Amino acid sequence: MRRAYFIGASSHTSLGRGLADSLRALEHPPVPQSVTARFADRDQMVPYRILKDDAASDAEERLYRVLERVIVQALDAAELTSTERRALGLFIGSSSADISVSEARYRRELDSDANAIALSASSSLGNLAAALRERFDFRGPDHSFNTACTASANALAYADATVRSGRLEHALVVGVELFNVVTALGFHGLQLLTPDTMKPFDRARNGLVLGEGCSALVIGSRARHAQPLSLRGSANICDTHSISAAHPDGSTIAHVISGALRSASLTASEIAAVKVHGTASLLNDEAEVAGMKRVFTTLPPLCALKPYLGHTLGACGLNELALFCAAADRGFLIGTPGICAGDSDLGITLNQTSTDLPPGNYMLNYFGFGGNNTSLVIERQGR
Amino acid sequence: MRKLPLYIHRTGNYYERVDGEPPELKALVQETLGVHVRRVGRFIQLALIGAGRCAGQSLPQDTAVFLTSGRGDLEVTMDVLEQLFVHAQPPKPLSFINTVSNAACYYIAQQLKLQSRSGFACNRHFAFESALQLAVSDFEQGIIRSALVGTVDVVVPPAARHRKQLGLTENTVLGEASHWLWLGTATDQPPIGRLIAAEHHADRDALIRSIAALELPATTLVSCGQFIPRENALPLRRELGFQQAFEYREGRGYYDSQSGAAVATFLESALPGSYLLHVNADPASRYSSFIVQAALPPP
Repeated sequence: MRRAYFIGASSHTSLGRGLADSLRALEHPPVPQSVTARFADRDQMVPYRILKDDAASDAEERLYRVLERVIVQALDAAELTSTERRALGLFIGSSSADISVSEARYRRELDSDANAIALSASSSLGNLAAALRERFDFRGPDHSFNTACTASANALAYADATVRSGRLEHALVVGVELFNVVTALGFHGLQLLTPDTMKPFDRARNGLVLGEGCSALVIGSRARHAQPLSLRGSANICDTHSISAAHPDGSTIAHVISGALRSASLTASEIAAVKVHGTASLLNDEAEVAGMKRVFTTLPPLCALKPYLGHTLGACGLNELALFCAAADRGFLIGTPGICAGDSDLGITLNQTSTDLPPGNYMLNYFGFGGNNTSLVIERQGR
Repeated sequence: MRKLPLYIHRTGNYYERVDGEPPELKALVQETLGVHVRRVGRFIQLALIGAGRCAGQSLPQDTAVFLTSGRGDLEVTMDVLEQLFVHAQPPKPLSFINTVSNAACYYIAQQLKLQSRSGFACNRHFAFESALQLAVSDFEQGIIRSALVGTVDVVVPPAARHRKQLGLTENTVLGEASHWLWLGTATDQPPIGRLIAAEHHADRDALIRSIAALELPATTLVSCGQFIPRENALPLRRELGFQQAFEYREGRGYYDSQSGAAVATFLESALPGSYLLHVNADPASRYSSFIVQAALPPP
């Protein structure tokens, strides 16, 4: 069976510019900032993890600048020829896409015209991909996924399938989420935000911190590494229990996890580690733990990445995968010291320190608004 | 891997030309689904009407939902932006949650009692084609056996603002629509047609080569999508080696995912066993095509 190997990646998050920089920053991660969300004549301070070394300004240009830099780095890392670059397929996952650009334009236009039209900058979720296609002269297909917090995980699953099928030799998967007022005030209104570091599954959980992040991953049919990483299986299920939370009994989460295991032809005992979704809200934490316990007789080591990155929403699929894989590539599982250290009310413990992670199969879980649940199984082959 | 063709079991459609205020949809949703669905906007209502009509009396529980749109839920997104930046009102929780495009998939799956995968994906010029390609990918891998594939585009009044927002001229006639296909692999009921292929092509040469390799009959009808200028349709059809055009867009108001109407319009009047090749292009001269065959009469 043809595989689609991870052959080039890059990332820019609040933790770092590039994956090596991000891994170094795990020792002393930055704390969330308080960012001003300005709407009409009002300001609201919102906790956010803003991109390292790139303040949330010049919103009409910033999105494209960040994307271009991250994509170039990923393409360079993959060492594709110019012909291969032109032919690749583009799979983008994002919750807010280019809404940060539309907001900035709308505010600027409202300053001079009270009848300015919202979304005059962009009125299609496909426009971001169209802009990238034009910038890089991509000729392959492009698909823009808008499935809340699973968007870029779903983008990867379809990119992988397209390369496996032989329709494409290479695909570029992109996850991006930058600060925007709609998201900031939307989550503020839902009363889900905390000014502190996220503490998923911990008794002291207090909500989530929004995060900015942009990651790009090039996948291809030929491995370029002695111990290549690839997507071994995946599943996606629509949970119709509630539009904003998974079923609390864990049944629907167990369903998607079991589906990913079947897709990967693995049993639960063959999973060496799980990257949890971990949004640090009681409802979601309870459902996620209940779901995992339905499938795993003994839970493998559990790793949470939102305490470092914040919740990067539609981009978390790729931002968290890129960070997880960068660590796995160096043989370790990321720990979260002091968070869910053993006295969780839900009866689980998160991995506390950087621990050895041998080659094997790892599960990465994502659960989103609109009942969109996705589970990925990544394989790192041994020598 | 499962290869095409896939069976087309049913289509479900809604189209309305919009001159002023678009028509009220609540009653139509109730008529279609038999229940009143509360607190949803026009985009989700249209998705429910189209998908509900396509589903008919029942669908297999493991039917996946693939939703796309040229512009997405403009109504809820614009409302949130205007409330924020004009009226200084933060988004209401449900309005904010409904800004995620897959909210419509959630309501479809809930109302039709589906337990399978779902998702929203789009492409600026190949919205319906993009959804078809992703569905085909899942069928080929054997992940799904049944799928609803649909596209929705709404008009957000006033019409003059809507035209401006979409970059249309002042006298452009507007329309809003919801077009759905039920695709599947099951053979326990007679299909109305088959989906033979749904492919992306890097350029015109790639399109010509790909279609030639399929050796379609000379009687194949060719329809050109809305992003191919009308004056280019005849030369393209000739280059593809076919004589007969199929027109499904005549008199249709503007919306961005008109390709979604081609299949149902063709199957309504097609001769048994006849083929439709649908081709669309984007401004970068990339192409997207799909091929449908009308069902053969029972032996």
